Formats: sequence, structure tokens, C-alpha cells
Amino acid sequence: MSEVVLETKDLSMVFPDGTQALKNVTLTIKKGELVSIIGPSGAGKSTFMRSLNMLNKPTDGQIVFEGENVLKARGKQLRQIRRRIGMVFQHFNLIKRSPTYQNVLHGRLGYMPSLKGGLGRFSEEDTRQALEILRRVGLEDQAFKRADELSGGQQQRVGIARAIAQTPSLLLADEPIASLDPSSSENVMTYLKNVCQEDGLTSIVNLHQVDFAKKFAHRIIGIKAGEVVFDGSPKELTEGITNHLYYSK
Amino acid sequence: MSSLAKQIDTPVEENKVPDMYKDLQRRKKVILKNRLVLWAIIAALVTWAWTGTNFSIAFIYTGTANMAAFIFTDLLPPDFSAFGRYLQPALQTVYMSLVGMVISVIFSIFFGFMAAKNTSFHPAIAFTSRAIIAFLRAIPALIWGITLVVAFGLGPLAGTLALGLSGIGILGKAFADVLEEIDQGQVDAVKATGASWFQTMGQGVWPQFKTGFVAWSLYKMDLNIREAAVLGLIGAGGIGYTLQGNINLFQYQQASVGILMIFALILIVEYTTAKIRERLL
Amino acid sequence: MRPYIDKKNKMTQQIYLGLFIIFFIFSLLQVGILDERIFQAFSRVENLLKGMVPPAISEPIDVAGAAVESLQVAVMGTLWGVVFSIVLAMFAAKNVSPHISISYAVKAFAAFVRAVPALIWALLFIVAIGLGPTPGILALAVNSIGMLMKVYAEAIEEIDTGIIDALKATGASQFQVVMQGIIPSIMSIFISWSIFRFDINIRYAAVLGVVGAGGIGWELVRASRVMAYDEVLGITLVIFGMILLAELVTRFLKDRADMATLKAME
Ligand SMILES: Nc1ncnc2c1ncn2[C@@H]1O[C@H](COP(=O)(O)OP(=O)(O)O)[C@@H](O)[C@H]1O
Ligand SMILES: [Mg+2]
Repeated sequence: MSEVVLETKDLSMVFPDGTQALKNVTLTIKKGELVSIIGPSGAGKSTFMRSLNMLNKPTDGQIVFEGENVLKARGKQLRQIRRRIGMVFQHFNLIKRSPTYQNVLHGRLGYMPSLKGGLGRFSEEDTRQALEILRRVGLEDQAFKRADELSGGQQQRVGIARAIAQTPSLLLADEPIASLDPSSSENVMTYLKNVCQEDGLTSIVNLHQVDFAKKFAHRIIGIKAGEVVFDGSPKELTEGITNHLYYSK
Repeated sequence: MSSLAKQIDTPVEENKVPDMYKDLQRRKKVILKNRLVLWAIIAALVTWAWTGTNFSIAFIYTGTANMAAFIFTDLLPPDFSAFGRYLQPALQTVYMSLVGMVISVIFSIFFGFMAAKNTSFHPAIAFTSRAIIAFLRAIPALIWGITLVVAFGLGPLAGTLALGLSGIGILGKAFADVLEEIDQGQVDAVKATGASWFQTMGQGVWPQFKTGFVAWSLYKMDLNIREAAVLGLIGAGGIGYTLQGNINLFQYQQASVGILMIFALILIVEYTTAKIRERLL
Repeated sequence: MRPYIDKKNKMTQQIYLGLFIIFFIFSLLQVGILDERIFQAFSRVENLLKGMVPPAISEPIDVAGAAVESLQVAVMGTLWGVVFSIVLAMFAAKNVSPHISISYAVKAFAAFVRAVPALIWALLFIVAIGLGPTPGILALAVNSIGMLMKVYAEAIEEIDTGIIDALKATGASQFQVVMQGIIPSIMSIFISWSIFRFDINIRYAAVLGVVGAGGIGWELVRASRVMAYDEVLGITLVIFGMILLAELVTRFLKDRADMATLKAME
């Protein structure tokens, strides 16, 4: 169980406007770990996560995902890396006007020829699988509805379903509950954790609520101003450290 | 139900996914069929229009090329000595637009209030008003212009009245729709104080109506300047008349001054109404 | 301080209002609304109505043919307007345009085209390529481009970058992102604007004949020139019917499509 899934070395990111969002982030994520990244808003959590699948391109350092050098990947190779990394977003980012099941099927696009996927000619097996995943996240009754007819919590579960449909080996979730009310947040986090454990997924979840992070994760990483300032188990995360993370200058 | 049928039913109940897949196929078929029908209708319409007008793709190319040639060899450079001749008609176009707008606003307030279910005196009146508005709306201003030129003779009077009439069609509907969407609670609150009909309108309805009223009236002004610019083509006053005169006499370089002035008029009016909108809203 | 400012604002407002009223009265005089003709309006309209009723159409086949031609011109004008607007919108929308300067250039072109009325375009096309339905079609197409390209480009610019990120993150190709993400998101805006534009084009097509670009407008002008009032009303009613019919058909088709989608998504 100690196989390494993801490794970053001296990862740095400077935005074109000069903002340094990441400073030499070096981390190793092992298979099956549930990692939560915490830190104040603007700390660089999203930038870090989006670097992992190249939604933004780090300016320096190295990312190795399942033995492949992510930053060197282009075109087809990049698509093949991306399809093994599921991602869940704060604002769900569903195609609002498409039905729910179609949004789940989008998780299969990376496995299909460009034309076939573009035309939406998903195979019967993929479709059955998508419906089954919807059942797993408790949305079988919403399968045919337009995505924007669902409640926030339900939409996020569709987001999770889309990521799961990729059969990923790593799941990224960027503040998945930041735009949900408390009870939907509980619910979504429960589904997220269950799915990860059932499928033995490795996952990294950005959260700014420390209590959720402690409940959810095996390992917590604290980021502040683009630097890793804490890396340990939930128990090791003392109040002093959270205070330092969130309140001190 | 026989016990056999039950036996067949049960496994389907237990495992919902294969069932759902069939359902999905059925739903997709419904959409697909509908799309095919729609595209077939559109294709038929286009074919009908294409053959009926003897259209050819080549016309797009020749049309563009001829237009470019016409613009660069005939229209340009503009002969600005014609500016003086266009000034008075251009101003007349503005006057027509403004008066036309005020006429349509005044009548539209009346028709709008009568047509909106919640402010009308009687459903029958509301229906009749809606019908009148719909009729005025369905006929373009230029068509009104042709009829009114027959009645009132050539000149800006016919054009102004045409703008007013067609404006009632647009603003009357807009006002009625805005009125129907106002919050009845606020109106009832004013009514409950024992206010008269006029007081209720003034205190309960007007504050909610104001924004839509201003926005739509100004929008009508934007439309009017465009319409007024072409009403002259049928002799109903404004800059279009002079423009057509120039074109009929092949004085294209003078005509281009007219076109530039129409262009400028529209931009100036749109800029002004945008400023007013900003100030008032 | 406050009451003073309020008072000052009130003053400015009153000054503006006063200027507006003066300008309005001046305009009233200029358009000749206080002309003696307006005081004879009642008898003039009465005369007109007497001459109009009952409505008549002396050459029904010509009029029907002209009405059909107007509808066809509207369909063709809308078709080409939509086609070119979609292509140009790709260059106009900042987020998909190959270069920002191209975006500005295309948008400036649209703004120019928009600020010249459809009928003026028709007038110019007639001079440039001659009489018939083609100048009408091209004029409507050009005028449609001015409007549709702007709204299409805005729809594309307003696409949520989040959905693009989300599909990219699944490993989707550029083509798949466009087909599965962008098009479904903007399709309904495109469709409703195109239908709206079709309704406008029908009205324009009905009047294009005024400048000689074919269709039913010419019949109306002809009737009015010979003072055949009954025919003026008759043709006006035909135009009214034509516009109404086209609107009913488009609404029926749209409702039908919506119903089918609804049924498939319940
Ligand atoms: N596209 C961008 N351009 C410039 N600066 C950015 C951009 N995106 C994020 N930043 C900056 O990078 C820093 C880290 O942002 P982010 O990763 O979004 O933080 P977090 O997710 O922890 O709230 C912030 O200072 C933010 O302002
Ligand atoms: Mg963030």
C-alpha cells in the first residue's frame, strides 16, 4: 500500500502578472491516501491542484503522476494523464443544459476517439456504467433531468459521478462544498469519502473548513502563501498550527 | 396479475439499471425524432425559399464584390458640399422621432393600463386593448406611413403619426407586460388605506412601473430614429427623401453624405438615450 | 449640506425637463403637427376609411405571389444572416478569437453594419446589383449580421470557463470540449435570437418592396400611388396575415421542440 501515485518536486508558479502562487512545493502522495489541503483563501490551494492536471502550467519544478512526467506531456499524452485524474469543482461546472446522465458520460470523453466523443456517441457499456454511478450517488431519479434543475448538493454529486466515470486513480476536489449549505455539505462529503473508499481511490481535497478536513482526511497539508507549512495527521494539527495558518501574518 | 407475471417483474424491480438504459434509449429516440422533423421542416422551408427566389451561392460573392466596387468607386469619396442640403432633413428626422415617441408613450400608457389584467377596469377592456395593440404592432411603421401619406399627404406629419401608431404596438405591449408583473402586495397596501384609483396608481403602481417605463420609452426612441431615417423613402418626411433623390439622380457621392449622416444620427441618438438611461435608472 | 444638494439636483432636473419641453414643442411645430391637416384629421380619416371599406384586391394572384416572395426573402435573409453571424462571431468573441485585434475589427464592422438601416442597405444593393429578390436577401442578411453577430459573440464570451476546465480535466479533446460543452451551453440562446431575428426579417421583407427590392411592399406602394384605398387596406391585411402566420408557425415549431425536450427530461 505504499506505492507512490503522485510526486511534486520544487513546484513553483508565478502568474504572468507577477503573483507568486506556489513556492517550491514538494509532496509525495501514496496510493489510497485521503489528503486534505487547508489554508486561507489565496494561499495557492487551487493553483496547486490545477497544476496537477495542467489546467494551469507551473513555471518551475516537476510533477510525476504514476511514473509519468506531467509537465512534459502534450496533446494525446496529456489527455491520457488527465483522464486518470478526476476533478470536482467548487461551482460544479456541469453543462447546465445537458441532462444529468450526459454530464456523467462526459467522464468517458478522454477514452473515446475525438470525433465519436464529440458527437456524443457513447457506448452502451459506458452508458450503463454512468447510470450505475448515478445510482451510487443516489441520483437515479434525476438521471434525465437537466443538470441545472438539480439542487446544489445534487449537482455536486453529479460532479463526483462525472469524475468517478473516468475510473481515475487520483481524485481532485477543489473546495467541493464551499458553495453548499451545511447539511448538503455533510451529505456531499459523505458520498465523496464513501466513493473513494469503495474504489480505493487516492484523493486530494481542498477545504478551507478545518473541521471537515479533520473528519474526512487521513493526512492534512497546510498551505500558506504558496508554501507547505504543515504536513501531518489530523491529530497532529493543533489549534496553534491552525491559528498560525489562518490568522498570523 | 398471474404469479408468472410477478416472477418476471421482480428481477426488473430489483435491478434498475438495465431498465433505465431502455428508458434512456426511448427518451433519446423522442428527441431524435423531434429534431429530425424540425430539421426536415427547416430544410423544406429553405429549399422552397431558395428555388422561389432563384438564389445562387454565387450571388453572395457577386453581391459583395459589386457592393464593394459600388462603395469604393461610386460612393466614396463623399461630396461634403451636400452637407447643407441634408442638414434640415436630418433635423426633421430627429423632430419626427421625438414627437412620434411622445405620442406613442402617451397613448401606450393609456392602452397599457387598459390592457394589463391587474390595472384594467374590466377583462373585456383588457382583451380589446390587447387586440388593438397586437394589430398596431403587427404592421411595420413604413406600412403605416404609406397609408398615412395617402390620408395626410407628403411630409413629416404622416411619418410622425406612423411612428406614433406603430409605437403604440411596441410600447403598449411592453407597458402592459411590465404592469402585469408588478408586485400586487404593494398595490393592495396602498389601496387598503382607502386611496382612490388615481392615488393607487400613483403611489402603488408608478414606483414599480417607472424603471420599465423609462427603459422602454428610450428604446422606442432608438427604434424611431432608424425608422424615421427610412420613412422619407415613401415621402413621409425626414432624411430618407433627400437620400432617395440623390440616388435616383445617380449623385452617389452626395448620397454617401446622407448615409453618413443617418449613421451619425443613429449613433448620436443611441449615445444620448444611453446617457439619459444611466441618469434616470 | 444634504438638503442643499437635493435642492440643486432638483433644480438641474427641472432645467432639463424645461429644455426637453421647449425642444418638444419646437419639434411639434417643425413636423407640422399643428398644421391645418391635423384639424381635418377626422374628416380625412373618415374619407380614407370610406374609400378603404370594403377591402379589395384587384389582382389576387400577383399579391399572393408577392407575399410568398416576401416570406422567401425573409427565410433566405435569415439563413445567410445566421450562417455568417456564427462564423464571424467566432472571430468576434474575445475568448475564441485568434487575436484580440481581429475581435475589435469584426465588432467594429458589426457596429457599422448595425447603424445603417436595413432599407438603406436594400437601396444600396439595388443600385449595386439590380432589382429583384437578391438585393433584398442580401440587405436582410447584412442587417441581420449586424445584430446577430453581436449577440452570438456575447453569448460565446459569457461561456463559463469553468465548464471548459471541467471537460478538459476529463481528458476531452478541443473538439469534444466545443461539441459537448460549448455548443450545448449556447445553443438555446442562439436559437431564440435567430427566431427573434426571423420575426424582424419578415417585417422588413414586407416593406423592402418600397425601394424596389421585390415582395409585397411594392404592391402596396403601387396601390397607394393610384389612390386605390380599398386595395391599400386589402394588401395591408394580407401583410398582417402573412406576419401573423409566420409568427404562429415559428412559435408552434419552438413549442413543439420544447415539449419534446421536456418529455424526454421529466
Ligand atoms: N489567473 C490568475 N492570475 C493571476 N493571479 C492569480 C490567478 N489565479 C490565482 N491567482 C493568485 O494566486 C494566488 C493563489 O490563488 P488560489 O490558488 O486561487 O488560492 P486558493 O485556492 O488557496 O484560495 C492568489 O494570490 C491569487 O490572487
Ligand atoms: Mg481556491
